[in-house]
Amino acid sequence: MNNPSGKASNIGQEPDGSRVMGDPEDDFRLVALAQKGDMRAYDELVTRHRGKIFAMIRNMIHQEADAWDISQEVFIKAWHALPRFEAKARFSTWLYRIAHNSVYDWTRKRKIETVGELNDEIFERERIDSASFTTPSGGETPDQSMAQGELRLKIQAALDKLSPEHREVVLLKDVQGLSYKEIAEAMSSTLGTVMSRLYYARQKLQTLLKDEYESR
Amino acid sequence: MNTNPDEATLALWLDDELTGKDLASFEAWASSQPEHMAAREETRRWRKLIASAIPSSEEPPYPEFFNSRIAHGIREQAPKPALIEPQPAIWKSWFMPMAACAGMVLTFWIGAKSQSQKFPVINVAGAPKAIPVQQIVYTPESGVNAELFASAHSSSMVIVLNGVAAIPDSMDFSATTYIPQEREFDSTAGNPSNPAEETH
Repeated sequence: MNNPSGKASNIGQEPDGSRVMGDPEDDFRLVALAQKGDMRAYDELVTRHRGKIFAMIRNMIHQEADAWDISQEVFIKAWHALPRFEAKARFSTWLYRIAHNSVYDWTRKRKIETVGELNDEIFERERIDSASFTTPSGGETPDQSMAQGELRLKIQAALDKLSPEHREVVLLKDVQGLSYKEIAEAMSSTLGTVMSRLYYARQKLQTLLKDEYESR
Repeated sequence: MNTNPDEATLALWLDDELTGKDLASFEAWASSQPEHMAAREETRRWRKLIASAIPSSEEPPYPEFFNSRIAHGIREQAPKPALIEPQPAIWKSWFMPMAACAGMVLTFWIGAKSQSQKFPVINVAGAPKAIPVQQIVYTPESGVNAELFASAHSSSMVIVLNGVAAIPDSMDFSATTYIPQEREFDSTAGNPSNPAEETH
């Protein structure tokens, strides 16, 4: 893909092959180009951020196909809302906010559609899907990789037991590394609420993962 | 910092979000608070554990297709340019009805004018004024001419046919007309027959 910046890109590769988010300043420059209708600049932004957005949504809803669709919807919505983006927050934070709304819309719609239906996720929750959780990272031995895969399954199972708000705040803070302020912006919430939610979510997770947590 | 910090500042410090002066001031106070130092270490250990198990970024399947679908979605949802219909000129709004009215009046006037010149009046001795029929009257035989004499005054009309052969007395006119005959018909036609009745 061509780099619309015309200079060396600072986009790197993560061990899983996905690209890491670029410099926020570079994001702003690409956003400015995209706001003028430059589709190539926007495509570059999508490439930069799709990994994080997809991972976040997938961790929230645990359905790869839907996460794929919702992630695309996020970027399409973002394109249409781009003229209103004022660069007060990072572009990634703004995307998380759109992702937050999209996930909640999807959840609401799904609740309406599945009223009275059997929720098959109840049966799938404990099922081990080795293919979906074992993305090997560089330098890991197979044993380490398996151990990480198992740990991930346990953490995922524990996260599933949290409310969507608590799960989201943990994912944004402990997985995505957002600041409290950014989480408050992404979730349209107050700083105090975010702090309180994170505190209780961590407490509950640590209780659920007591054995894992204490053995490490 | 001599007093206990507020919870928000403590939460920010535990998650390594304090910077600059705030951090220096808090660190100075926290260094004498072993339980807070331990809590911060716990928080760091926790974040590391979660971050090591759950990747923060995962490429979506078929990433290039993912991007192309977004581009397609954007194009599809782009507002289509509205079809701009040419605005009719203002003069047309009043000129067209007026022209139509004038046309109708003219057509009526021409029609009335030509109607009055259509039938020339012919004087016949002792007969009312006659109006010759236009030569479009149907004549079954060649050489037969038809003339129509009408009198509005006596409400009568005479048609003179010149060149028609004499009609013999033996001619049966009934053969030239259609007289409907009373037709027999089956009143049960169209109704399903009753098999039970047929057997008896």
